[in-house]
Amino acid sequence: MPRRPMPPRPRPVDPPTEVIPRVEDDYDDEYYDDDEYYDDEPAPKDALPPDSLARKTVRGVGEALITMGLVVLLFVVYEVYVTDLLSAEKQQDATAALDSEWSSNVVTPPPADPNRKSQLNLIEGKAFAKMYIPVFGNDWKFSVVEGTTDKHLEIGPGHYKDTAQPGEAGNFSIAGHRVGKGAPFNDLDLLQSCNSIVVQTQTQWFVYRVLPMSSEVAGWATNPKSKEAACTGVAPLSTTLGDAYAKTVGQEIVVPTQGEVIAPIPHHVGAPVPADKQARLLTLTTCHPRFSDKQRLIVHAIETKSYPVADGFVPPEMTEG
Amino acid sequence: MYSWIWRHLPGPLYLRVVEAVVLVVGIVALLMFVVFPWAEPKLPFNNVTTQ
Repeated sequence: MPRRPMPPRPRPVDPPTEVIPRVEDDYDDEYYDDDEYYDDEPAPKDALPPDSLARKTVRGVGEALITMGLVVLLFVVYEVYVTDLLSAEKQQDATAALDSEWSSNVVTPPPADPNRKSQLNLIEGKAFAKMYIPVFGNDWKFSVVEGTTDKHLEIGPGHYKDTAQPGEAGNFSIAGHRVGKGAPFNDLDLLQSCNSIVVQTQTQWFVYRVLPMSSEVAGWATNPKSKEAACTGVAPLSTTLGDAYAKTVGQEIVVPTQGEVIAPIPHHVGAPVPADKQARLLTLTTCHPRFSDKQRLIVHAIETKSYPVADGFVPPEMTEG
Repeated sequence: MYSWIWRHLPGPLYLRVVEAVVLVVGIVALLMFVVFPWAEPKLPFNNVTTQ
């Protein structure tokens, strides 16, 4: 029987597309919907197995480890905050002692060429000068003590014994903490060339300025910075004082054994230059990187000015910053 | 360790809480003012001088 073509089956009519408005819903809501369900679950009741020896041991070890972790955390708090408090008090005492000493003893006015003559009487552990770094802010001031043992450095920045005195030819060298204990040299890495470091003794102000950095030495003469007022008297020492000072730049990072950075001529231990031809340098040392004593961060500066101390007089350099 | 200490603290609950706080404060003070100052120079964190 011949097949008749089947009539096409009627196709189901598509229902009109339903537009479901998009529901803006918080992801969290969905998550919290289930809360009640979980809450209904009964909490396991005293399902702990009896305390075996192994269990006790594991718990004991765990508690010991947690305790040790807490002790280490506490040590960080101590190192970074508590030592600051303890040192702040010692620094205050040292400053108070210095102030009363300065106000009580009468000194003869500094001699005509004061930079070379005035010898301070330095006593270990006692403050003898005040130090300011104007770019660190008005509140950055420390009394510098004689000596660099741990005890001395708790009080404040310490002067390396047997290095030059402020304003003297040679290398007036100071060490200071970078973390904790008042952290006087916390931001030493931020010092730029020509930034001033002001040191005040009982009779004089000395303005030191950070030397050009090693990257600036080569192009210093053409560097627009060298023409700035702040840079008056600052130039790479190799150009003004010869090759002996070739390694003396604004900032360097050395290993702890490189004591030659505080030599009268840095990096030259048996000074080939007679004392009266030495530059009047200031060197600051601190630890590097922060929280480590692997290396030392060194900043070298050169004296560019000095003023006699007078009532009400503050060097103009103090307002830089 | 901690539960052992807790069990051995005498007195009612509020007293035991006070005792626990005193213990913690005492140990922290011992660390801060005796142990850490002693240990610190022996640790390689904060030497700033050159030799």
